[in-house]
Amino acid sequence: MGSRRALVVLLLLVVSLAPLALPPFFLQLLTEIAIVGLFATAFNLLMGFGGMVSFGHAAYFALGAYAPALLVRDAGVPMLLALPAAPMVAAAGALVFGFFIVRLTHTYFAMLSLAFAQIVFTVIFKWKSLTGGDDGLLDVWPPAYLKSPIAYYYFTLAMVGLSLLALHAIVDSPFGYMLKAARENPRRARSIGINVRRHQLLAFGISGAFSGLAGGLFAFYNGSVFPDFAYFTKSFEPLVVALLGGVQSFLGPLAGAFAFKVLEWLISRQWPVYWPLFLGATVVAVVVLLPQGFVGLFGRRVWMRYPSRS
Amino acid sequence: MDAVPQSELVLQTVGLKKRFGGVQAVNGVDLAVPLGDLRAIIGPNGAGKTTFFNLITGDLAHDSGHIYLRGEEVSGLAPHHLCRRGLGRTFQITSIFRRLSALENVQTALLSHYRRHYNLLAPARRLYRDDAFALLERVGLHEQAGKASGILSHGDQRRLEMAIALASAPRLLLLDEPTAGMAPRERHALMGLVSGIAHDTGLTVVFTEHDMDVVFATAKRITVLHQGSVLAEGAPAEVRTNPEVQRVYLGRPASGTH
Repeated sequence: MGSRRALVVLLLLVVSLAPLALPPFFLQLLTEIAIVGLFATAFNLLMGFGGMVSFGHAAYFALGAYAPALLVRDAGVPMLLALPAAPMVAAAGALVFGFFIVRLTHTYFAMLSLAFAQIVFTVIFKWKSLTGGDDGLLDVWPPAYLKSPIAYYYFTLAMVGLSLLALHAIVDSPFGYMLKAARENPRRARSIGINVRRHQLLAFGISGAFSGLAGGLFAFYNGSVFPDFAYFTKSFEPLVVALLGGVQSFLGPLAGAFAFKVLEWLISRQWPVYWPLFLGATVVAVVVLLPQGFVGLFGRRVWMRYPSRS
Repeated sequence: MDAVPQSELVLQTVGLKKRFGGVQAVNGVDLAVPLGDLRAIIGPNGAGKTTFFNLITGDLAHDSGHIYLRGEEVSGLAPHHLCRRGLGRTFQITSIFRRLSALENVQTALLSHYRRHYNLLAPARRLYRDDAFALLERVGLHEQAGKASGILSHGDQRRLEMAIALASAPRLLLLDEPTAGMAPRERHALMGLVSGIAHDTGLTVVFTEHDMDVVFATAKRITVLHQGSVLAEGAPAEVRTNPEVQRVYLGRPASGTH
């Protein structure tokens, strides 16, 4: 525990002092890492802690990107007031879709979550008058005081940091214990009085909310939003990132986001065509050799605490 | 039997029936278990014991009949509601939260019992820790508290499951073959534990069991199921000498074995 706390403090120091040493490009890279890290951690609340693999989390990312973008562009709402719409609209979407999705398990759960995400994609793509369709929404910038890479970096850091604190508290809360119990053994969980489906639905809503916040942060970082945000390839991003970092650890997805974005930058700078090939090979290697993800390289404690089902 | 529920009964079933395709698995079972009973339900394989259990626990829906828990009709209630009505259970195949520690297993059950389900912020590991330790101590597992429950021995996992079930403070505990897969000495130790807890807390226990030594040593009363119906019911001595039971179930005169 002590070493983990020291690691977090060190990480905080490094990321808060980074702007002193790094040029804007790397600040942008770190901003993206923080956003993807939040997205993957929110996703992993379902996968790692709830045992539910969603193939459609892009839907909530996109809802969270479009909602504040529309408010800022079409209704003239200031960004800081519009941003809360990201988690709210995404959570609403997640609760509505989740109501149906958590009735299913495993493959069917994954497929229905994918289907709902494709619906969201299609609606965004086709509803040209509202969403701009294929052209997306442009000129979605934060106000002047947040526009510089440094300012937006710190803003993202604060939002992501607070979100991770909240998610960490949820994982360790009584609700988090119920969720893990439902993952481990739904029948046993029911027989000790846990309404499994309702807990899974609430987890889905929470996961959707934070995925939406990641989408909102990305919208203003990117300055524009596009229908691809809801496309199924985007849904695989948090899955890949969480797998790379380790789904059984809370900080795994964050580590995965760092590895993913740094590797993407290194590889696609040199050989842009081969990035997907390299990513695929890396995922295969990690899944086979490091089932605990990159965090599994540090210490065997996690491994011993979590024996596989026999 | 009269269909009016009797309130001093902890568990009562009236005309309970369940059919699977062409098999009438449970065929009109009337069962009345009074407060403080330690009731064994026995019968040859296929007698309908497990189906009967799963009807009571809400895992299966019955075709007709009634189930009363402490005088209240509970037919059709979901398992998590039955838990809140005072029904605790263990499963035929050990059913625990394997990747949680023994302590967390019991803590989770306690958190659920005290309705902390939707508390999103309190650090759960500090809640009901002492209560959880006390329950683990009651089943002899306090020294294993920090271990992942999935790596405990089979016997210890069965004890842990008992502690999980007890954490909900049930009025009625249903044990589906609690000693399955255990060595004979372990079986008697476990059932001794069950009788001790039942005696100390006034808990009513209904269990199925294949080991006749365990049944006759533990049960206060025995109900014999055969082809989905109650064949006999009574104190162990009566059941042992019942000629019908000897014929269909024990397959030999049972009086000679003790």
